[in-house]
Amino acid sequence: MAQEGLLVSAFYILVFTAVLITYRVLRGPTLPDRVVGLNTITTKIVVIIAIVSVMRGEYYLIDLAIVLLMVNSVGGLILAKYMERRGGSGA
Amino acid sequence: MGPEVILLLLGEAVMVFGALGIIRFPDVYTRLHAATKCDTGGAMSIILYLVITMDAPALVRAKFLVLAFLIAMMNPMVSHALARGAYRYGVKPEVVVDMYAWDNP
Repeated sequence: MAQEGLLVSAFYILVFTAVLITYRVLRGPTLPDRVVGLNTITTKIVVIIAIVSVMRGEYYLIDLAIVLLMVNSVGGLILAKYMERRGGSGA
Repeated sequence: MGPEVILLLLGEAVMVFGALGIIRFPDVYTRLHAATKCDTGGAMSIILYLVITMDAPALVRAKFLVLAFLIAMMNPMVSHALARGAYRYGVKPEVVVDMYAWDNP
């Protein structure tokens, strides 16, 4: 059916953009570049988990997506605090 | 298929152009700009499409709406903290006018 094909194409486009951003994570010139890339990839993975949860009809996966989003935001705040306190040696 | 497909297509387009911006922009702050637009707008649009079109109990739809609300609250907060941390870390913006340095000498 048509809606299934739409969701599968959305899944593949999201995976493709995540692979594109992996370039910035691997070859970012500074540390904040890599942190920005990792945050973006994790949010894309949250959306991918939501799409898979609707596609397979297994709705318990959405709890996993909510927990992953919360862990990602707390990790981003801790990395920002680390960069702020370290200072001085950036390029 | 109805008019709600526009939400899905808009989300996918925002995701692709955000990824291109993260690759091609010259600076941490402009990349952060592209990443915030891509994450918040695209993810909320796709999740709203899922909420509209799926056939599930009301509790599951409420969980998806909670996920969209959390994305809208937490993502700008993390982006703000990352921009501030990058400036204190020592990355200079490649712009002519640096207004953060004016306010915080």
